[in-house]
Amino acid sequence: MDETKVVFLLFSLMVVLFGFLALHALGKGVLYYIGVLFLLITVLFILAMNWVDAKLFSSITSILGVTFQPAKDYLINKQQNAVIKEVNGIFYATGYVTANLFSYTFKAESAPEDDEEKMIAAPELWERIVMNISFPFKFHVLASGLDVQNIRDELEGKRSYQEFQLSRAMQNNSSEVVITDIRRKMSTIQAKIDRISQGEKPIATLMYLETTAIGVSEKAALDTLDAQVNQLRLSFSSMDVETTRIIGRELYSLFNFNFSLPTEFKELSTMFDQQS
Amino acid sequence: MANYFGVFFGLIVASAVLMGLVAYVPSLFLPTYVKIVLFIISLALDAMAFTSRYYAYLISPMLKQRKKHLSLSNENPYMLSQSGDAILRKSGEDFIATVYISVPLYRSATEMEDDEKLDFSQQISRLVGLSKEPVRYTTELYVMNKDSYIQKLRERITMTENDEAELQAKDAPKSDLDRTRGKLAMWRNMLDSISKGFSFELSTYVTVSAKGSKEYEASSLAQQKAKEMMSGIGSVFGVPPSIITGQDLLRFVEPEYLLPISTVTEQINKNIQEQVI
Repeated sequence: MDETKVVFLLFSLMVVLFGFLALHALGKGVLYYIGVLFLLITVLFILAMNWVDAKLFSSITSILGVTFQPAKDYLINKQQNAVIKEVNGIFYATGYVTANLFSYTFKAESAPEDDEEKMIAAPELWERIVMNISFPFKFHVLASGLDVQNIRDELEGKRSYQEFQLSRAMQNNSSEVVITDIRRKMSTIQAKIDRISQGEKPIATLMYLETTAIGVSEKAALDTLDAQVNQLRLSFSSMDVETTRIIGRELYSLFNFNFSLPTEFKELSTMFDQQS
Repeated sequence: MANYFGVFFGLIVASAVLMGLVAYVPSLFLPTYVKIVLFIISLALDAMAFTSRYYAYLISPMLKQRKKHLSLSNENPYMLSQSGDAILRKSGEDFIATVYISVPLYRSATEMEDDEKLDFSQQISRLVGLSKEPVRYTTELYVMNKDSYIQKLRERITMTENDEAELQAKDAPKSDLDRTRGKLAMWRNMLDSISKGFSFELSTYVTVSAKGSKEYEASSLAQQKAKEMMSGIGSVFGVPPSIITGQDLLRFVEPEYLLPISTVTEQINKNIQEQVI
C-alpha cells in the first residue's frame, strides 16, 4: 500500500468514526439502527475497495450495466475487461492479461549459474508460443530505470535490519532454522547490492499481453476475445508466467498507453498495484 | 489521474461538513428524518472520496451525466504530428508526443547454438535496461494486410463474370465460354485459398513519450529520446532501428490495422458459408 492510499484510507475512516460519534443525534429509535447499518456498509465498502477495488468496481458496473466511452469510437464494456471499437460494422474487442515473465530473463544481465539454463530455453520457448498462436497479440514490456542510490540505500537499510534480527536471534539462543532463514535473507540482499555495485541498473518492469478479437456483433467479438485470452494464458503457462486478466482502472490505463506513456516512473507506479 | 487529490479533498470536506451538521445542529432546526438523509449522503460521499484514489476519472462524469453510458471523452484519442513521425495527445495544458521505433530483428532461436541463445537473452536484458525513463518494448503478431490483393482478385472476378455474361448474350462458341468459365473458376479458387486463413507478421518496436507545453516541443523532445534509444538499440543488437512514420504508425495504435478489414470480412463470410453448409 503506497503512502497516498494510506492517507486516503485514514481520512475516509476518520469520517466514519465521526459518523459513530454523530449517531446520538439520530435518537434511539429505528433511525439509530439504520445509521449503524449504513456505517458498517461504508466501512466494509472502503475496506473492500482498498483490497479488491478492480473486482468490486467492475461488479458494480456490471450489475448497473454502466459502460464507458474512454475516447471517440471506443467503448469499455460493463464488465470492464475489454475495449471495443466498431469499424464498418465489424467489432474489435481488445483485452489485456498480465504476464510477468521470469525475472531472470529480463532483470539479470549476468545470470547466476542455475538460471543460465532457463535463459537458454527462453528464446525457443517464446518462438514455440508465437508459432502456436493464430490470432493477433502484442507482448509489452514497460520498463523504467530506478534511482541507483535510492535502491542501494533501501537495500542497505534492509540488510542492517536483518543484521539486527540476527544478533537478537543469537543473543536469545534461537533455533538454527531461524538463524539460517535470517542468513539466507541477508545473502539475498547482499547479492542484490553486489549486482548494483557491479554496474547493473535496477529497473522496474510491467509486462502485459494485449490481444484483439473480431466479431460481427459486440457479443461475438467479446466471446472470441475470451477464447483468445484463455489460449494466451494457456500458451504462456509453459513459460511459468502468472497471467491475470486485467479489469477496471488498469484496463483504462493500458488503453491510454497505446497512445501515450507516462513520462515519469512515479506516475507509472501509482497506476498499478494489485493486478500487476 | 493527476486531479484525484482535488476530487478527494472536495468530497471528504463535503462529507465531513454534512456529518458535522448531523452531529451538532439541534433537532429543533434540523429534524431527525432530514438528519438520517444527510447522514447517508455524507457516508456515500466518504465512500466516493476513497474511491477517487483510483477512479477520479470516472467520478465527475458519473455525477455530471447520471446515465448508463458515460462519456469520458468525445475526442479522438490522438492526433498525428505535422511531421508524421509521432502521435500527439493532450494532457491537461500540456501535450504528450509518442514516437515508435521499429527494431528489425530477424534472428530465430532455431538457428542458434546454446551460447547464442544465452547471449540473445542477455541482449534483451540490456535492451530493457537502456532507459531511465519509462519506455515500452513490444513484440506484435498481426495479420498481414492482403486487402489490395483481395480487392484486385474481386475486380478480376467481376470482370470475368461480365465477360461470361457478354459471351452468353452474343451466343459465342462453346470453347470461348468454357475458357472464360475456366478463368472464372481459377480466380475464385485463388480468392478462396487466399482468404482461407490469416497470414501473420511479427514485428518488434519501442515506444517513447515526452511531455511539452507546445506540440512541437513535445515532438522534438520525443524525437530526441527516440534517437538516444535508437543508438542504444543499435549498439545492443547491431541492427539499424528506424522511426516509424505515417500510415505505418496506425498499425500500432488502431485495432483495425491489426486485422485489416477486407481480409477479415472475407474470413467472416467464409466462416458463415461453412456454418450454413
